Amino acid sequence: MTESLMTRIARGEEAAVAEVMEQYGSLVWAIARRLTRNPSDAEDAVQEIFTDIWRSAHRFDPAAGSEKVFVTTIARRRLIDRMRRLANRVQTESTDVLDELGFHTPDTAAEISVEAERAARVVARLRPEQRKVIELGLLHGLSHSDIARVTQLPLGTVKTFMRRGLIQVREMMGIGPEVAGAEGDA
Amino acid sequence: MSASFLDDATLADLLVQLETEGLAAAESRELDARLARSPGASRDALAPAAAALTLAARLPQEAMPAALRARIAERGREAVRATAAGKVVQFGAPPATAAVRGSLLGWYAAAASLLLAVTAWWPRLAEPPAQVAGIPLPVPTLAEQRAALIASRQGVIQQSWTPTEDAAAGGLAGDVVWDPATQTGYMRFRGLAANDAALEQYQLWIFDGTRDDRYPVDGGVFDMPAGTDEVVVPIHARLPVRKAALFAVTVEPPGGVVVSARQRIVALAQVATG
Repeated sequence: MTESLMTRIARGEEAAVAEVMEQYGSLVWAIARRLTRNPSDAEDAVQEIFTDIWRSAHRFDPAAGSEKVFVTTIARRRLIDRMRRLANRVQTESTDVLDELGFHTPDTAAEISVEAERAARVVARLRPEQRKVIELGLLHGLSHSDIARVTQLPLGTVKTFMRRGLIQVREMMGIGPEVAGAEGDA
Repeated sequence: MSASFLDDATLADLLVQLETEGLAAAESRELDARLARSPGASRDALAPAAAALTLAARLPQEAMPAALRARIAERGREAVRATAAGKVVQFGAPPATAAVRGSLLGWYAAAASLLLAVTAWWPRLAEPPAQVAGIPLPVPTLAEQRAALIASRQGVIQQSWTPTEDAAAGGLAGDVVWDPATQTGYMRFRGLAANDAALEQYQLWIFDGTRDDRYPVDGGVFDMPAGTDEVVVPIHARLPVRKAALFAVTVEPPGGVVVSARQRIVALAQVATG
């Protein structure tokens, strides 16, 4: 079995750095561009994200998910932290100003990763308004209250849509549901 | 369908918020409290789902700027090289214009000469501090982890910061907590100037009494968010520290340095001997 890039980074293998950049550079950049205000912000954020990746590589556990999910989680956490720190969450009045991103179909998502394919399968089954709520929250960085304002949905509905969507994806990934009292988690 | 901790809508909503817009300090504490009452629950329960949905999105296909990619790769190689080398970080030669910089003697001198009445400020630390989110997979809040570390064992070092005359240190107070047994620790700051991470970051250095004074251990890079009264920062020592003698915080370029120019030292905490 091929050794993961994170394992090689954690072991101090310098050559793995270029491979990480090749493998995940565009992904991290794309996520950062989505969740920052401008290219300059994105550049700062991406540097922070990769600093976290070098430091956290030893925490990667293949049993808990793919390396792509690990890197994406680090990127998301760092960007959310940064948005809160800089208070630059996207402010918008209407969905008209938010460019449509949308999700891959399960077939095309399968080319990205097995987790993406499973998430896309869940998304494909959602009602359009729920899909929109998830897109605005996860990909545009809008707060729940901003999503409620933009979509004209009650805040409680927004929260329910987000919660159900994430839990369904989690279950589709084979992580839950777990019996109360059971050991272990994602 | 089996019972799940995610059936608790409030707990689930907090986990969702963690993955979408982040949590305020009070919300984070509430989440920790609920997680503690929920067997099998994890703070990271929804992180893989959020990541998977992100991966499933039609993200814009745009290449990272080449110069940025090169810069990050260089930093990455430095970090990985340091790991491979055993992670001793060497300080560079002190600049000729530096005042309180030079040998370790200079650091000690700064620590000894800059006495502040930090004890008068202690009682105000009772309120819960804000946190700097660093790496993924945290469990309790940093303040709770710090408190637990202090309570958990004897031999934990706790030393107040002594601020230098650097402008960023005006009004600085706080302390460093370090457990030699587990090689973990936390810094607590109040009054340390907020930094613009795009321009500069704070970096911790740990002087080990059993090592050459010229080679302090890198304790990690961190930021001070604006508008927070108090911040707790975890220490990430790159090497085992056998006998912590002095903790020093410097201001460095974004991402930190492997070799510090020691141009800006903002805080020192000398460990009492004996």
